[in-house]
Amino acid sequence: MTSALARGRRYVRVAWTPIALSVLILLTWAIVENAGSVTLEEDVMRLFLWMMLVLAWQLFSGNSGVMSFGHIAFMAAGAYFSALLTMSPILKETTFPDMPRFLASWIHPAELSLVEAMLAAGALAAVLAAIFGIAVARLAGVAAAIATLAILVIMNTFIVQTPAVTGGSDVLVGVPRETTPGFAALALVVVIFAVYAFKQSRHGLRLRASRENQEAAQSVAVNVRLERYIAFVIAGLICGVAGALYAHYFTGFAPPDFYFELTFIVVAMLVVGGMQSVAGAVLGTYFLTIVYLAARRGEVDGVFGVEPPSGTANLLVAVALLLALLLRPRGITGGREVPWPTALRRRGPVAAAAAGTVPEEVKEAIAASPSRPDAATPTSGKPL
Amino acid sequence: MIAAIDLQVGVDAVSFGALFAVMALGLALLFGVMGLMNFAYGELIMVGGYTMYYTRDFGALPMVVITIAVVVLVAVLMELFAFRPVRHAAPLTLLITSFAVSFGLQQAAFMTVARGRQKGVEPYPWLTDQHHIAGLRLSNLDVLTLLVAGGLLVGMTMLLKRTTIGIQLRASTEDYQMAQLVGIRGNRVISFAFAITGLLAAAVCILFVLRTGSLSAQMGVTPLLIAFVGGAIGGLGSLTGAALGGFTLGVVVNTIQSSLPVDLSGYTLMFAFLFVIVVLVIAPNGLLDLTRRVWAAATTRLGVLDRRAA
Repeated sequence: MTSALARGRRYVRVAWTPIALSVLILLTWAIVENAGSVTLEEDVMRLFLWMMLVLAWQLFSGNSGVMSFGHIAFMAAGAYFSALLTMSPILKETTFPDMPRFLASWIHPAELSLVEAMLAAGALAAVLAAIFGIAVARLAGVAAAIATLAILVIMNTFIVQTPAVTGGSDVLVGVPRETTPGFAALALVVVIFAVYAFKQSRHGLRLRASRENQEAAQSVAVNVRLERYIAFVIAGLICGVAGALYAHYFTGFAPPDFYFELTFIVVAMLVVGGMQSVAGAVLGTYFLTIVYLAARRGEVDGVFGVEPPSGTANLLVAVALLLALLLRPRGITGGREVPWPTALRRRGPVAAAAAGTVPEEVKEAIAASPSRPDAATPTSGKPL
Repeated sequence: MIAAIDLQVGVDAVSFGALFAVMALGLALLFGVMGLMNFAYGELIMVGGYTMYYTRDFGALPMVVITIAVVVLVAVLMELFAFRPVRHAAPLTLLITSFAVSFGLQQAAFMTVARGRQKGVEPYPWLTDQHHIAGLRLSNLDVLTLLVAGGLLVGMTMLLKRTTIGIQLRASTEDYQMAQLVGIRGNRVISFAFAITGLLAAAVCILFVLRTGSLSAQMGVTPLLIAFVGGAIGGLGSLTGAALGGFTLGVVVNTIQSSLPVDLSGYTLMFAFLFVIVVLVIAPNGLLDLTRRVWAAATTRLGVLDRRAA
C-alpha cells in the first residue's frame, strides 16, 4: 500500500512540471468558459496559440542552443494547407479557379474535419521541416539563424507569389471556425507533455549535452546533426498543428500574419521566460501576452479618461521586454523547471531516503530518476 | 546588343552590391566587437531618413552633416541606455534587447514623425543624371554609391588597423577583460564602436533614401535584412567578409531578377534565399573564410609539389 503510494508520488514527481503547467492552462481555460466574453476568449486563444509556438521553439532552440527564425514558415504551411482541406468545395472552386489540376483534383473536393486537417497540416509541416532541416542541422550560431530566416522568406515569397494555390497576398477567408478554446487547451496540454518528454528523453539529453559543449558531446558519440535534425522536424510538426488551429479559429489570414512580427514575438517570449526550460516557455508567454493585451486594452479604452496615442501599447511592450531582460538576463525562470513544492519535499521520498526509512530499490530508482534534470546544468540565475 | 544588355545588368548589379556592402559593414562592426546582432541598426537608418526629411531644404551638405550627427547621437544613446546594462549577457539576450530597442523606436516614430500622410525625400536632380559611356547607363548616384562604399571600406580598415582607438577596439574584441586589465577603457571603446555604426548607418541611409525616396517607420527593415543576410554569407567576423557578402548578395539578387523569365520574376527572393542557404551549408563561416581555406589548401598542395619536384 505504502509502496503503491510512493510509486504514485514518484510518477507525479517525474511529470511534475508538465502537470503543474497543464493545471495552469486548464485554469485559464476554465476562467474563459465562465466569463463568456468574446474578447477575452480571443485573447486567450491568442495566448494558447502563441504558447504552442513558443513550446515548439523551446523544443528546438531551447534544447539545442541553435536559434531558429524560420519555424513560422511551417506554421504558415500548416495554416494554408489545413484551410484548403476544410473550406467548402464550392468556395474553393470560386476562390482558386486556376489551381493546377494535379492539386485541384484532390484539394477541391476535400472536406476534412478539424482533427484530420490538423494531422495533415502537421504532416506537411514535418515534411517541409525534414527537407529544410537537412541544411539547417549542419549549421550553428549565426549561420543557422540566417538559414532559418531564409526559410521564412522563401515560404513568404512562395505564398505571396502563388495566388493560384494560396490566394496570394490577399486575405484568405471562408475557413470554417472549428477550433474551440477547450480543444486548443487540450492540444496545448498534449504539446506541453510532449515537449517536456522530449527534453527528458535520450534525444533531449544528447541535444542539451551538445548545447553545453558540442565537442564534448561528440566525443561521447553524440550525433549532433542527427539530434538537431530530429528536434527541428518535431518542432516543425508542432508549428504546423498550431497553424491549423490558428486558421480554424481566426478564419481569415494573410501572408504578413506569418512573418517577422510573429517570429519575434515568439522568440521574445521564449527568451523572457528562460529558453532552457518548458516552464520558461509557458511563463514567458503568459508574461508578454498579459503585458501586451493589457496595454492594448488600455490604449483602446483609455486610462483614467486619457486616451493615449495609438502605438503606445507596442511601445509599452518594448519597454517591458527591455526591463525584463535588464533585470533577469537569463529569463524569468533562469532555465529552471517548476520546483517540487516544499510541503511535499519534507515528507518526500528523497528526504525519507536520507532518513533511511525507504527500501533499497526505491533509493536506486530515485538516483536514476530524471526528476532533477538541471542538477548538472550550470545555472547562475536564482531559483524560481 | 546582347553583350551590351549583359554589361548593363552587370553595372546595375555592382551598384546594388556596393550599397548592400555598406549596409553589411555597420552590422558586422558591432557583431565583431561585442557579439551583438543589432536589429536596431535598421532604426538608425530610419532615424536618418526622417532627419533628411526635416533638413532637406537646407541644401545637400548641411543635410548630410546633420543627418550623420543625429544618427551617431542616437546610436551612442542607444548603447548607453539599452546595451550597456546587458553587455555581459548571452548573445541571444543581446539580440532580443536590440529587437526591443528596434521595436520601441519604430513605435516611437509611428507615433510622432511617421504619422499622417506618407513622407518622402526627393532626390536632387543632379544625382539622377545619367551618363552614357560606351552604351552603358551610369547615374551619378551609382558612381557616388561606389565611391562611398570603397571609401568607407578602406577608411574602416585603416581605422581599425592604424589608429590607437581602432587597436583598442580590436583588443576588446579578442578579450574584453584582458583589454580592461591593460588599461583600455571598455565603455569608451564600445561607445566609439556604436558611434562608427551610426556613421555607417547614416551613409547607408543617405544612399538608400536618395535611391528609393520614400520614408516609413519600418523602412529600416529591408536594409537590416540585407545586412543580416549579406553579412552572414560573407562572414560577420570580419569587415572585409561582411562587405564581400553584402556585395555578393546584391549582385546575385540583381542577376537573378534580370535573368528569370517574366512570369517567375516574383520569385526572385525565393531563389536568392535558396542560394543563401546553399552558401551557408558550403561555407558556414562565410565566403571569405571559404576562399581563405581554399587558398591555403591550394598553396599547401603546390608547396608539396614544389618540394617533390626539388
